[in-house]
Amino acid sequence: MKVEVLHSGGCAKCQKGLPALRAAAQSVDPDLDWCELDILKAIDYAVELGVLKPPAVAIDGQLVFATLPSVEALTSALRARMRH
Amino acid sequence: MRLSVPSAQRLTIGKLAELADVSANAVRFYEREGLMKVPTKTDSGYRVYGDEAVDRLRFIKRAQHCGFTLSETQALLQLRDEASSCCNDVRSKVIEKKLELEARIKAMKAMSKSLDQLIADCSNDTRPADDCSILAALSGTKEPCR
Repeated sequence: MKVEVLHSGGCAKCQKGLPALRAAAQSVDPDLDWCELDILKAIDYAVELGVLKPPAVAIDGQLVFATLPSVEALTSALRARMRH
Repeated sequence: MRLSVPSAQRLTIGKLAELADVSANAVRFYEREGLMKVPTKTDSGYRVYGDEAVDRLRFIKRAQHCGFTLSETQALLQLRDEASSCCNDVRSKVIEKKLELEARIKAMKAMSKSLDQLIADCSNDTRPADDCSILAALSGTKEPCR
């Protein structure tokens, strides 16, 4: 699986929560591909995903969270995808 | 041409509008919409404005040129007015606006591409409108002619 976090570079709120989210996601899937993208550098992709404001999280190329999710919300979304 | 504002000047609505390069009606409109503070009035009932009103009007104009709506401009002005807000709050608003504009540009490019297809499919001859391939394609009733 691939998780992409689209954030605005320099946003303290985004940067603060990312390490915990990344660790939790990788505990669900050790092979998980974790990418952090500066939304301004990936603006076309963000528009394609339908991101309205950063931060947002996409899983396997689909916008799943329009804000930074909690650890629980992210891990349960990843588990649900693994089951399917 | 930008006119400089003498310090501590009390400006009439006409002078203010001239300095900010907007109309007096626009100033009244911004007041009604809450973007401009309601000014004090002279004994004879004329609005008088301080120098800061010129800066505020110029701010509103520039924000509108960047695509911000009135309510978004108001939110930016609030951020400017609030001591507790930080640069990142403002940056977030601008990034949101950029995302919105880019999404609209993408949608409009798709529309333009659809128009290209309609134009390309049109034989551009003198047939009556009943046989028009563009109208047929828009109606979905006929296959466009090639």
